[in-house]
Amino acid sequence: MSPASALLDVRDLVVRYGSFVAVDHVSFDLAAGETLALVGPSGCGKSSTAAAVLQLHRPDGGEVWFDGRELTALDERALRPLRPAMQPVFQDPYGSLSPRCRIRDAVAEPLRVQGRWDRMAGPARVAELLDLVGLDPAYGDRRPHELSGGQCQRAGIARALAGDPRLLVLDEPVSALDPSLRAGVLNLLADLQERLGLGYLFICHDMAVVRHFSDRVVEMRDGRIVDER
Amino acid sequence: MKDAPDTRARARSRAGARTAWSGVRARLVAWTRLSAWASAGAGPKVRAGITRVVCLGLVIATVGLLPWLSGRDPALTVLRARSAEQEATAEALNSIRADLGLDAGPLRLLGSWAAGLLRGDLGTSWVSGTDVLPSVVAGLQVSLGLMGASLAVALLVGAVLVAPVLVRGRGTAGAFAAMLAAMPEFLLATVALVVCGVWLGWLPTSGWQGPAYMVLPAVALGVPAGGLLGRLVADALPAVLEERWAELWRGSGGSRARIAAAALRRVLPPLVPQFGMVAVGLTGGAVAVETVFAVPGIGRTALGAAKSQDLPLLQGAVLALLALGLAAGAAATLLRRRLLGPALRDAGLTLPAARPVRVHPVVPVVLAAVLVTAVGWGLLRDPYTVDTAARLASPSWAHPLGTDGLGRDVLARLGHGAASTVGTAAAVCLASFLLALCLGFLPLFTAGASDIANALPPVIVGILVAAVLGPGTGGASLAVALISWPPLAAHAAALVQEVRASAFLTAQKAIGATPVWILTRHVLPSVAAPVARHAVLRLPGIALALASLGFLGLGAQPPAPEWGLLLDESRAYVERAPWAALAPAAALAVLAGLAVSLAAYGGYGSARPGRARNPLFPRWAGVRGSGAHRGLTTLSRTRKETSLAPR
Repeated sequence: MSPASALLDVRDLVVRYGSFVAVDHVSFDLAAGETLALVGPSGCGKSSTAAAVLQLHRPDGGEVWFDGRELTALDERALRPLRPAMQPVFQDPYGSLSPRCRIRDAVAEPLRVQGRWDRMAGPARVAELLDLVGLDPAYGDRRPHELSGGQCQRAGIARALAGDPRLLVLDEPVSALDPSLRAGVLNLLADLQERLGLGYLFICHDMAVVRHFSDRVVEMRDGRIVDER
Repeated sequence: MKDAPDTRARARSRAGARTAWSGVRARLVAWTRLSAWASAGAGPKVRAGITRVVCLGLVIATVGLLPWLSGRDPALTVLRARSAEQEATAEALNSIRADLGLDAGPLRLLGSWAAGLLRGDLGTSWVSGTDVLPSVVAGLQVSLGLMGASLAVALLVGAVLVAPVLVRGRGTAGAFAAMLAAMPEFLLATVALVVCGVWLGWLPTSGWQGPAYMVLPAVALGVPAGGLLGRLVADALPAVLEERWAELWRGSGGSRARIAAAALRRVLPPLVPQFGMVAVGLTGGAVAVETVFAVPGIGRTALGAAKSQDLPLLQGAVLALLALGLAAGAAATLLRRRLLGPALRDAGLTLPAARPVRVHPVVPVVLAAVLVTAVGWGLLRDPYTVDTAARLASPSWAHPLGTDGLGRDVLARLGHGAASTVGTAAAVCLASFLLALCLGFLPLFTAGASDIANALPPVIVGILVAAVLGPGTGGASLAVALISWPPLAAHAAALVQEVRASAFLTAQKAIGATPVWILTRHVLPSVAAPVARHAVLRLPGIALALASLGFLGLGAQPPAPEWGLLLDESRAYVERAPWAALAPAAALAVLAGLAVSLAAYGGYGSARPGRARNPLFPRWAGVRGSGAHRGLTTLSRTRKETSLAPR
């Protein structure tokens, strides 16, 4: 796929920690509405790749083209307005929300940060987002520790959606959840993809989930891609 | 084109500025790399060692520079001490300055002092004109004897506190031990002096002429230390006795005594460093105790030297006290290695988390109510009116707590004293809180400062500050603030680190939040509240430290009504008017009780509050363990963590 049509195009990505090379010339691309699974044993560089794609950890080499723009060339200030378009969803549902914030405020925060908060329309937008992820808007008054793991994960997804993203980086989004809740969250993600045309970079090590959920699979080992199918 | 050369000159100077700036930047980069190396490349042990050595160097340099730091003219001190009748003419002062080498700069002064130190020459006393070394050595001999005796007392008290836990197999030393540990030495010393020495007349109360003279000082010094030792061991034991191995031994018929002995051996190594801290605390306590009982030890020497501005003697005495503390620390490390064996040297065994002392919520409320009532009543009365007709009156309706040596109302002085003592303590608390919040973002610096602050008793810092600034409330507050911020900063640093590693902060960055937004909306609020709570809990302890400096004459000056000072003033009349001494003593004891019971509520009863576990997520701390956060930190993984990952 050419860079023009791909939502995300990663070329020769390199991440080093000191002398240790965590990600060694990794390249892949991802179209809108597509799910690319990144699999591999722990410590193989999946999460480092994800952090580098999101520019949360600036890569030491390579290019990340997102939506026709090269992100590694941009400085932090130029990057900030682009960030809401690509959002992470974390493994730990509780840790990814501030324990001090109400769910409502956590979901509204991307809007506030981007200066898009509107006192009249904002609350309705938050309720809509909570509804979109299958949470009763009444939960907006609660804090993370008053919710179940699945509900927190849904709130985390709602926050990610608040900035109208085009790409979600899902870092083992269901592995910390109860097996009974996993299907619900995965179905929600599939549903959202269909409705909003999101691209998913899906990090996982449960092959059953990967087969069911993703269009393509990239397997990593020791920082390198060893298989693509 | 008149201004062309001018432009060129400006361009040149700009270029010059740029080169200068790039030089600065290169240095900055090098420094950043160095500190990155120190924080990532070198092991944590090495890092802690480096900061500790740097901080110790700073403390010693401060001691060496005392004559220069002390703003007042030392020449005047010397002149007054040597020949009181001589006029303080510029000529006389200059000749003394040249005589002492004070006209050279601070670096020269420090250099010559350090060189003398290496030769074993501590200089000459400004006041007596004799060599400092012999008086330091003589004081050290006496103090070592006293500390040995008080260590024996401490071990005895500790054994008494631990024995019931070992016999019963459960329970802790409880609030009583915590109370003993919180009791300031100067208070115990005064009470012991009043009760055993004066009322009962069992033991001599002043001087150093034989074993009998050693008993009271050793008890006053040893009991708080023993309370702390006993509490540390007794708190750790129950959890250890519930460990699997103990159950296994019990199941296979091991005798109770054998299991108790093994549990004790299991508990001691991780606690040994804390025992070293106890020994350090003894050096600070020695100053007060030696002063109360007129023991000619090194602590009293230091205090006397500070009061008479005899800086060389003070330098020698403080160095000796520091050396005692360091030797105690080194002995503790050696003992720990010996107990653990070389294989387990540093990784060692960690203890299960001790349970904090739980006291009924009524206790702190009642203590606070008693204090507030007494203080409120006292505040309505006049603390300064001197009534010579009613000197040392016993308690009556007119004077509920009697009067002092000048006929002033003790209750009034107690009430007004609380306002100044607690008010100053609150100011110190606030200052340390703010400082801790700022410095919590520099964990490397904080760790080193924290270590040194733990190793410096407040009294010794108070002496140093008093030597520089002169005795006074300001100096005392500064001294207490100097050592009260590092534990708070260590706590703040731990919290900052924890918040920074959490996924919700990564999420903040991911939604495009600016660093300022993240700091003010998330990091600071998460850190400020727990650290503020911790600071408030330390308030009574800070007030006690201020009172101990006041007692030694290093804090508030007469006629100010300050609790420590009240106790000190009434000591002279203790035979005729014991109530005047016992009233502030009781107030201080209530304050100590308040310190203990509040600490239990904060859960920061331990000496290292920075180690408090997961205070941000208290609800989940026990349930989900540390592994729960692993998944989220992968995105914001730090260099150090990753370099430890399997390759």
